[in-house]
Amino acid sequence: MIKFHPSEQQLVLYAAGELSPAMLMMVGTHVDMCKQCQAQVQDIEEQMARKLFGENNFADYQANSLDSKTHDAMLAAIFASTAPVAEPSPPQPHDNLLYLEGKRFTLPATLARNSHRIGDWSRLPGKLWRASVDIGAEQSLNFIYMGEQSTVPEHTHKGNEATLVINGVFSDEQGDYKDGDFVLLDGAHKHSPHTTHEDCLTLAALDAPLHFTTGLSRLLNPFSSLFFK
Amino acid sequence: MPPAQPDNPEHAAELLAQIATEQSRAAFSELFKHFAPRLQAYATRQFGNEQTAMDLVQETMTNVWHKAHLFKPDRGSAATWIFTIARNIRFDFLRKNKYRQNDLSADDLWPVLAEQNESLDDDYALDDDLLMQQLAVYCEQLPPAQKTVIELIYIEGKSQQEVADALDIPLGTVKSRTRLALQKLKELIQHD
Repeated sequence: MIKFHPSEQQLVLYAAGELSPAMLMMVGTHVDMCKQCQAQVQDIEEQMARKLFGENNFADYQANSLDSKTHDAMLAAIFASTAPVAEPSPPQPHDNLLYLEGKRFTLPATLARNSHRIGDWSRLPGKLWRASVDIGAEQSLNFIYMGEQSTVPEHTHKGNEATLVINGVFSDEQGDYKDGDFVLLDGAHKHSPHTTHEDCLTLAALDAPLHFTTGLSRLLNPFSSLFFK
Repeated sequence: MPPAQPDNPEHAAELLAQIATEQSRAAFSELFKHFAPRLQAYATRQFGNEQTAMDLVQETMTNVWHKAHLFKPDRGSAATWIFTIARNIRFDFLRKNKYRQNDLSADDLWPVLAEQNESLDDDYALDDDLLMQQLAVYCEQLPPAQKTVIELIYIEGKSQQEVADALDIPLGTVKSRTRLALQKLKELIQHD
């Protein structure tokens, strides 16, 4: 059972595409692993669609309504367009596998689709390994692998750090985190993650400020009791 | 009763089905009339630019026209499907404007329009498929009697007793054929 989930606000921003690239990958991967959050994202998408296409926009779309000439021209262009070339070949079977130290991990779908972004492993002091995920931003997203009986020295975070367990279990002063658990640690948090008899593969990102101040997520009233309690 | 409108979810889904199966221009025009102006109004507010908004509408609706067969009614409403297409296009538009390399692409985050998005969603499905394909090749190399038993048990999911009844042979024979076949398969796989 997954115990730790992204907040509802993070799911809304994920569904709108308005999280930072690193957090989109983190939340997307959690959603792959979590039936509960999958259902919630679907629900959020339904709600956004209803707002976007619903009656609330009536006045707006009346005012902006496509005039019939533009309308007809666009329709004609669409009918004349050729079907886009088939998608690039489906992902190769090995795309969803990640190897380290003779171990093989199955990657959740979001990571598998982005597996070409995963860099080489480098060894850190202790039984720790790191591989960066190139998401084209200044922000960093990393796989962190902790071998059995390993400890990350106690540290605090500048800003918020999000960690998602892909496989295995790690613990800190607050508890144990297992497959699919999504943990946000704020700057005030002192913690020392460690593993015992099991190793742990995690994905970690710094939670950067949001990129957009207006956007799809605004379709949902931020004060609605449904999403932001 | 008034005729059904595209804001009726069932009707919208029906229109998409007509586009997918018959390339019905009438069905598409009806959907377009409902969704395009609403998308445009929203996109204009979003981008503050009439042309970009029109591009978003056109690209979204072009995908609806060509990819209607990818709409899965059991996964959500037609409106939601169209919304997710628009969301993806908007996401890519916003990034393209920044001229940065290696940016995430919407399709890799939300595979709304992927022709095959089931296999990767299901963690192990891909592995299983591959395994079955490989095993099928090995099974071809088994003696016919053993191959039949293996297929009935592992592909059709019959019990050994059911196989014995179906083939009208003793249970002991089924067991020995299964054992020999598995042994042979193991050798074939290790040998490869």
